[in-house]
Amino acid sequence: MSTIAETSRRGQAHRRMRIDGWRWGGRIFLVFMLLYTALPMAWMLITSIKSGFAAMQFPPQWWPDQPTLASYQKLLDPQNSVGQDFLRFFWNSLYVSAATTVLSVIVAVPAAYAFSRFTFPGRNFLFFTVLLRNMFPAVIFLVPLFILMRAIGLVNTHGSLVLTYLTFGLPLAIWLLKGFYDNIPVQLEQAARIDGATRFQAFILIVMPLSTPGIIATAIYSFIGAWNEYIYAYTFLSKNEQLTLPVGIQRFFSENTTDFPGLMAASFMMSVPVVVLFLVLQRYFVRALTEGAVKH
Amino acid sequence: MAHVVLKDLVKTYGSFKAVNEVSLTVNDGEFVALVGPSGCGKTTTLNLIAGLIPITSGDIVIGDQVVNDLDPKDRDIAMVFQNYALYPQKSVYMNLAFPLQMRRLPKAEIDKKVREAARVLDMTQLLERKPRELSGGQQQRVALGRALVRDPAVFLMDEPLSNLDAKLRVQMRSEIKRFHQDLKATIVYVTHDQLEAVTMADRMAVMNGGYLQQYDSPAQVFAHPANMFVASFVGSPAMSLIPLEASTANGDTVLKSAEGWSLGLSQLNARKAQRATGRKVVLGARHSTIKLHKSAVPGAIPAKAYTVEPTGDVTFVQALLSGAIVNISVSPNIAVKPDEQIWLEFDQERMHLFDGETEMALEAA
Repeated sequence: MSTIAETSRRGQAHRRMRIDGWRWGGRIFLVFMLLYTALPMAWMLITSIKSGFAAMQFPPQWWPDQPTLASYQKLLDPQNSVGQDFLRFFWNSLYVSAATTVLSVIVAVPAAYAFSRFTFPGRNFLFFTVLLRNMFPAVIFLVPLFILMRAIGLVNTHGSLVLTYLTFGLPLAIWLLKGFYDNIPVQLEQAARIDGATRFQAFILIVMPLSTPGIIATAIYSFIGAWNEYIYAYTFLSKNEQLTLPVGIQRFFSENTTDFPGLMAASFMMSVPVVVLFLVLQRYFVRALTEGAVKH
Repeated sequence: MAHVVLKDLVKTYGSFKAVNEVSLTVNDGEFVALVGPSGCGKTTTLNLIAGLIPITSGDIVIGDQVVNDLDPKDRDIAMVFQNYALYPQKSVYMNLAFPLQMRRLPKAEIDKKVREAARVLDMTQLLERKPRELSGGQQQRVALGRALVRDPAVFLMDEPLSNLDAKLRVQMRSEIKRFHQDLKATIVYVTHDQLEAVTMADRMAVMNGGYLQQYDSPAQVFAHPANMFVASFVGSPAMSLIPLEASTANGDTVLKSAEGWSLGLSQLNARKAQRATGRKVVLGARHSTIKLHKSAVPGAIPAKAYTVEPTGDVTFVQALLSGAIVNISVSPNIAVKPDEQIWLEFDQERMHLFDGETEMALEAA
């Protein structure tokens, strides 16, 4: 009797240990991932408050002896040429990203709704051609798109970037939103139409509010994609006053001797809008990506 | 309130005919149930009346207006959906107010009507809640309220009770019936549950395969089913249908079984069966119209008990007869064992005869 109890107890202990092993493995992995993502950012932040000389020292100063915000002051000062350029690049990036985001939502919302609710000739074909672009790496389209942009006279305009970012961002945006609309019962619209709404009103008043998380996720996705994009911005734009941040930072700081604190300060400020956007809206983003995974 | 007329209503999807020349009239203040198995076209018919899908041909009249091409919002109808279709982001109050806001009523009037509807349906304390915070029965009541608040010409209901548990369903059934009596509302009610149709409706339209099979009061449909489909669909347990053959000899018409026995008929039934002499005739009998005997009786047919199901009030005996399963209800104090020899006596007054080929009820010549 006691032997049986003992064996079973030992069995339980054994099982608990194995589960704990997995759990600890998971924790260690997560800590590793956290360090992997957070350390470069921490180093970026620390370097940005060093003086130019301290940044080049070896062995490095883990914490600057004389922390200074001079790099930030320089970048944000519209009086000096560095600040002028940085603020202009920042504004350009904001403008291109915002335009891309707004247009992407304006196009993706009705497109996704149409794919979800209507049957029309070529519906499936169109839906998969929307995804076709995603089968190829973006760089493949660099030269053809450049030739195309030159042909329609859009080289050296922000419009060329907005158009390009739209073609890259829209497919996923439409897929994401279609999943959302598929999950909204069609009876809600029917009820609204019987209650006195037109089809359009039913969409605006009932369906749109319910798909807000999806729309927000789509917007974040488009914004971040456009904000961070480098290679197309580098190819399509050559005039200094038009550059976006990713290109501008690189050009501006490596021409003479590299000002690492300045570069890091600029990089940090470039990541601020994305991080803020993500922190504020992340719950919508997660909801959008997991929506439809489980049936309610 | 208004009447509804369907004239030769047709809806096709490609080559598939979902609704096939359905014509019926729902009188002002009448409660009509569209009933049939799934895929019979009843919900499609309701959606056609609502204007949610376009008709292929025919006419729909609500009140005195042909509404074929009108938007749902212009048809002066209200609809209760199977999943209630409450707006999840709106409170109960705003759900009830929505149809009135869409009609641009003044705020004070909206408030008055919403509170009145809430009072009638006894849910004043729920007005500030969101739909997901309500039980199934409460959601159902809000859906009814949203239909009621606008005082529409016609109420359309699409299986409003099928998402509720059995007990609540019985309770809401009587509430909807009461709702109809109090409002004298014109109601078109879709259900797959023949019991709901029989208990609630003034008239029931039995549909199958896109065709209207029979349109009459529940009592009439029950007592005089137009064909074998209606006979087997309405009533529970289903009417037993026994395939036989009509044969006339010496001016006397009897029903012959392939098993060798034959069943004599009353004068009226003989006249019906004569019309199908030499052909297949299907005898229909409900469980309560068949008498079970434990010994041979003149006029009774020998059969073997197959299964016995006591339910407390009555015991259902299933017997094999001429290749068909026959349901008989007997008093629980009659003990029948499976495989026991029994004799069945059919009530001539309440038996049904159907043409074996057309499946239509046979009428006396």
